[in-house]
Amino acid sequence: MSAFTAYVPVGENRYRERFGLDFEQFAVGQKFKHRPGLTLSQQDSRDECLDTLNQQMLHFDEQFAAHGEWKRCLMDSTLTTKVVMGMTWKTFAKHTRLLGFDEIALPKPTFGGDTLYAESEILAVGAESEQPHAGRVRVRTVGLNQRSEVVATLTYELLVARAGYDAFTRLDY
Amino acid sequence: MGKHASHHEIAPGVFLERMGLFFDDVVVGDTYEHRPGKTFSAEESVQHTLRALDQSPALTDAHFHARASSGAQPINPLHVLAVVTGMMTKTFSKIVANLAWQNVKFHDTVRAGETVYAESTVLEKRPSKSRPGQGIIRVSTTARTQDGRVVCTFERQILIYGAGQGPYAAAGY
Repeated sequence: MSAFTAYVPVGENRYRERFGLDFEQFAVGQKFKHRPGLTLSQQDSRDECLDTLNQQMLHFDEQFAAHGEWKRCLMDSTLTTKVVMGMTWKTFAKHTRLLGFDEIALPKPTFGGDTLYAESEILAVGAESEQPHAGRVRVRTVGLNQRSEVVATLTYELLVARAGYDAFTRLDY
Repeated sequence: MGKHASHHEIAPGVFLERMGLFFDDVVVGDTYEHRPGKTFSAEESVQHTLRALDQSPALTDAHFHARASSGAQPINPLHVLAVVTGMMTKTFSKIVANLAWQNVKFHDTVRAGETVYAESTVLEKRPSKSRPGQGIIRVSTTARTQDGRVVCTFERQILIYGAGQGPYAAAGY
């Protein structure tokens, strides 16, 4: 077991779900394996395209895709990105801001039927922050498919609340 | 037929819609204004967040948001990034592969009810060494709200087909 807790006690024999590490709990070199994974379908990719004004037919016209390099529709990479980041939320739930990505790279394609998992490594932890009760955490998150091939690499920086200053604690959420 | 033609005349009086620039058509320094814009709703942001397995209360629990912060509900920045990327797919449609996003910055929060517009400027183009006829372009994209507030900027590297390449004619495009 780790020192990280999934619950706060809120009464006798009563526990409330609580997510995310405090800024002080992050350290360079830590690795997090996020669960659950998610199996994506080609319909998920079509929905993502239609919802985001994406008219790249390689993601939703199978007849067109059959003539191309991959012979079938590719997963829209914005969906891959969303899901890989989304799967990390329980570990990073006390972040107050996503500052931005240095890079989002997609070294291999994803197809309908593939299952994605996310893993994160802490690259840097910095006390200085534009918010008084938060610090900076630099993270590299990779998306892996069911064959453990890296399909996405995302390097980014978060502001994470210091112990006791997260909104869950402040608001007794 | 110019590079900006909206249709091919495939037989006398028969016009096939076309969109997007081949590598040969890309000029460094040109800026393209993407249309349409998109108005974001709180409901769609919640839906896209949940479908990515993300249950962050700040993005999914309106009551929590009202207690923790002020203003209309925030739109998930990854969904904003996905929509802005989607907006680029008409002009930058002759894509072999989406290589990477770089230097993604979320300057300000998009809130429910706001409309976002995007424009892209070509920074660089170079022929691919390993893929004759294809080339890599780098573009810089800026997304603004209806009142001109910059909310997101990024650069993208895209591998695109040269003129006459790709599956377009064979696939009926």
